[in-house]
Amino acid sequence: METANGGRPKDPLEAELARLLAAYREACPEPEPGPEFMPRLWERIERQNSVVREFRRLTEILVGAAVALSLLMGVVLSSREPAVSFYTGTYVEILAANYAQEAALDPEAIPAEQGYFR
Amino acid sequence: MLVDFELVKRAREGDHAAFTQLVQAYRKRILGTIARLIGRPEDVEDVGQEVFLRLHFSLDQLRTEEVFEPWLYRLTVNAAYDYLRRQRRRGEARMADLSEQQVMLADAAAGSRVQQEEQRRRQLRETVQALLANVSEQDRILLILKEIEGLSLKELEKIYRVNENALKVRLFRARQRVLKALAASQTGTARGGGN
Repeated sequence: METANGGRPKDPLEAELARLLAAYREACPEPEPGPEFMPRLWERIERQNSVVREFRRLTEILVGAAVALSLLMGVVLSSREPAVSFYTGTYVEILAANYAQEAALDPEAIPAEQGYFR
Repeated sequence: MLVDFELVKRAREGDHAAFTQLVQAYRKRILGTIARLIGRPEDVEDVGQEVFLRLHFSLDQLRTEEVFEPWLYRLTVNAAYDYLRRQRRRGEARMADLSEQQVMLADAAAGSRVQQEEQRRRQLRETVQALLANVSEQDRILLILKEIEGLSLKELEKIYRVNENALKVRLFRARQRVLKALAASQTGTARGGGN
């Protein structure tokens, strides 16, 4: 029996271990597979297959339900009245409109010759 | 290879007859390896079934037919490792852990020559298993594959997908621990004999 490093054991302890390991192989019976080995194996394979099939079926149902729900929500949302939008113009237009409103309320900004606030 | 690549290919493609042939070709070898890895004859067939069950559901992941054997050994190692880990968790008593009285009773029961031979083998198995119990499950499996199953470092490299040097280091360390345990047991025996 060779050691892990490929050489013959020199140490008596190494030799004893090599002897024990070689004898262990002899002492371990070679088990003969029973006649039920293959039928049992196929039974286990079938059982696992049916679990996988069931899981796949459940997944398909869940995915189908999720798609149907998404479509339904899409239809419901698109059929509703559009919400009032606060900003319809561009940023510059909104800024200009805001400025015009503020200018209208500010008395300093109103020219004196117009005769207001006299 | 115990079978040709064509059979592995057919089994990979879902041919049930080919898979059955594959199992029939390898089951004895795999059961033998499992017996030596787990050391419990009563559970060998269950672990063997687990190996072939895993093989059935992972055959499609096999890259090429050439790596079939290392792949099968990897599945065997994993199943044996899972089994040993479960056993450790359960904390079941092994034969090596039996009391001296129980062992003596078993010895007394072994009367005939055949029984004596079986008794000798059982004691040897227990001795080696007790020595191997001094290393982790992974190292125990590695050591058995190398030293008892006789797999080469190249084959182990393919099974473990680890480079040869790393395997050598692990094997060396595992061996050292087993040797230490052997030395301790011999010292204990010598002391016991001296009393």
